[in-house]
Amino acid sequence: MLYLFGLVTATGFAVAVAAFAGALGQSKAIVAALEGTARQPEASGNMRTLLIIGLAFIESLTIYVLVIAFMLLPKLPDTPKILELLK
Amino acid sequence: MHGEHGSWLSWLYEIKVGPHHLVPEWVPEAVPMSVLVILVLGVLVRLGMRRPQREPRGLQSVIEWVFVSLENTWRGVLGDDAPRFAPFLSSLFIYILLMNWLGLVPGFKSPTANLNTTVALALTVFAVVQYYGVRENGFVGYLKHFTGEIWWLAPLMFPIHVIGELARPLSLSLRLFGNVSGEDRIILVLVALGAILFHRGLGGAAEAVPYGLAAPMIALAMFTSLVQAYIFSMLAAVYLAGVAHESEEEHAASPVSA
Repeated sequence: MLYLFGLVTATGFAVAVAAFAGALGQSKAIVAALEGTARQPEASGNMRTLLIIGLAFIESLTIYVLVIAFMLLPKLPDTPKILELLK
Repeated sequence: MHGEHGSWLSWLYEIKVGPHHLVPEWVPEAVPMSVLVILVLGVLVRLGMRRPQREPRGLQSVIEWVFVSLENTWRGVLGDDAPRFAPFLSSLFIYILLMNWLGLVPGFKSPTANLNTTVALALTVFAVVQYYGVRENGFVGYLKHFTGEIWWLAPLMFPIHVIGELARPLSLSLRLFGNVSGEDRIILVLVALGAILFHRGLGGAAEAVPYGLAAPMIALAMFTSLVQAYIFSMLAAVYLAGVAHESEEEHAASPVSA
């Protein structure tokens, strides 16, 4: 029972933490890109390319966590089994 | 592993040639889908470039616009090497983009939502990068680029660089697979939700309402598919620029790590 509780909590919280951390990291990159564009609008094309590449790197880490969560999802038992375990 | 075949191409699995099926049961639907993409692309380009004019009109101008803007993008990363690698990189981009978009059409499935497709693409990029690395720098030079600048740190740097190099196809494939399969899954959930909430058997135009719930997500998925195709091909370009430098110019120093 404790194992199932741990499994469910881990699956849910993993994605939440990954989303939070990913958003934090990406926001720093976007802030830097915006400040650079405001300072030098003519270099915005180059900055846009680097921004997109950087965002993709950070996003891929979040996606790795999502893949693990998807792999854990089938391992969660469905309702009849849980009711049986609760008896 | 038998997948369920429930798309507009599932009739392919019924065709028999003598006693054998033309397409066996165990072939995942991703394969006929990607064949469809290739056929559509081939037919389109053939039709457009059948009689090339000096001043392009219609389909030819669209095709030329796509190719030229892609080559300019690679030029930003590769510099003068761009015409060498532009065919590979542009094909990669257009192929991945159309495969991603195919899953958004109702009745079709993205081949890139299948891990096998993305791993195959990532391994192709890996093989091409290693091949050009050995071809440009020779075998010794290629091994040397793993050791880094400081020679007495080489026993430490070599495993780190090798692992970093091996992590590239892993991250490429998982990034593309995770993004595309994730957005397809969200659309599936939204369509199911719409069907549960709104389907009352009204008939006629009201049947389309359940799918309307997924429409904003489909629009977002079109954009993220474009970004992911761009990222994949841009990273392939960056990796190629890292190994195959004929002219010693250091363009757009992007971080080349996994």
